[in-house]
Amino acid sequence: MILISWTNDGVQFRAIEILSCYSTSSLVVFSLLDLRTISTYKNMTTELFNEEFKAVSAPMKSYLLRITASVQDVEDIVQDTYIKGLEKLGSFRGESSLKTWLFTIACNLAKDNLRAQKRWVENVTDICREEAMSHQGFFNEAMQIRATSPQGTFEIKEHITFCFTCISKSLPLEQQLCLFLKEIYEFKVSEIERILGVTEAMVKYYLHTGRAKMIGIFDNRCAIINKEGVCHQCSELNGVFNPKQKFQEEVVKIEMAREADKGDKEHLFDLRMKIIQNINPFESGAAELQLHHLEHNRNVMEKYV
Amino acid sequence: MAITSSLAQYIKATTEKKTFSRSTVVTAIIKADPAIVWKLLTGASDYPRWNSTVVSIDGNIAEGEQIKLISTLDAKRTFKLKIKEMYPQKRLVWGDGQGIRIYTLVNNGDGALTFSMNEKIGGFMFPLYSKHIPPFDRSFEQFTADLKKEAEAIQNLKK
Repeated sequence: MILISWTNDGVQFRAIEILSCYSTSSLVVFSLLDLRTISTYKNMTTELFNEEFKAVSAPMKSYLLRITASVQDVEDIVQDTYIKGLEKLGSFRGESSLKTWLFTIACNLAKDNLRAQKRWVENVTDICREEAMSHQGFFNEAMQIRATSPQGTFEIKEHITFCFTCISKSLPLEQQLCLFLKEIYEFKVSEIERILGVTEAMVKYYLHTGRAKMIGIFDNRCAIINKEGVCHQCSELNGVFNPKQKFQEEVVKIEMAREADKGDKEHLFDLRMKIIQNINPFESGAAELQLHHLEHNRNVMEKYV
Repeated sequence: MAITSSLAQYIKATTEKKTFSRSTVVTAIIKADPAIVWKLLTGASDYPRWNSTVVSIDGNIAEGEQIKLISTLDAKRTFKLKIKEMYPQKRLVWGDGQGIRIYTLVNNGDGALTFSMNEKIGGFMFPLYSKHIPPFDRSFEQFTADLKKEAEAIQNLKK
């Protein structure tokens, strides 16, 4: 009853729709949830927007870094998202959470940027490794960061995350965007539909195929989960940055490594996602070292692809 | 070719042989959105991941384009095929001088669709080389079973 008495056209329409679709008992639950969203957006001031933006900006920056691999692009897109969000605040109808709405703006800006770029290749880490080996300057800079920066530690989990970021850029763009939104940032399919402006069927297709491809790639490549895997960079780099540490002792601390023998590829992928979820690439103890490495790989890929 | 899916046992292809042609057709109900099935049928590089009858498809499945297909039926041979027709979520046709393959999707409106795949090969010289062409039935059944399994897995993904 309260909902219908509101004069805002959008609200009234939604209320009538709810009344015609739901039984009395479910109407109460749905209306309460809806009320909270609607009242938030009706009272959305610039101050409240700034507050909410601040809360959303950490996962947004992390997401944008993982899809663009560029700190500069992240800063530009976050700034543009803030400006656009503030400009369009009047059009925010509360039909989704503000976080979903802001991610929609950020994703559109990122897509414009990424569509102009070529996708990376599956063996990106092999190519970038070769390039790094031939440029002593890369390792000198990295060792300097390792020695002086509070965010210069080398951790295997951080490298696993970094590696996923690089290889995911070999997926078709939509698959990469969907995969991160669902598996790392835990958006629902319905929210991803809204963020990317595609149908539920397409979100499911992108998620399924992106996930399947990444499982296949890591099963072939990653020596942590497959003894036949061709990539040993975690162990190599751990030897460079943590020479006194025994890799095998470190790696068994990671659940994904301990579970590898069971061979459940889907489960191993979920464990990999868990590792990534728990790392903020801008705030972690290895952030500066990994961002330096990411910048190197981005430069190499820009020339290569 | 080994049948890898028990599902394929329930999908039956039929072949009609004539003097100058041979036609194989298979039909199945797939409980998935036509957009999903269409994406699977038109994603060339992704075929080997979900379709056990395809070794590789190079090229872009778009009208007027040419693709290079290697099938498990004869993995030593590369078929150069032209994409002749594309009506999104409805009909896809490719072929070469010897034959034509038609994929048809009919939306049943109940969350399912009827998929059919029909290949007709033939020509004036067909009687001379027909005995060298292996039967398609089991490969068609497997193709369709793989498509159904993959499309329905995507459709049933958790929301």
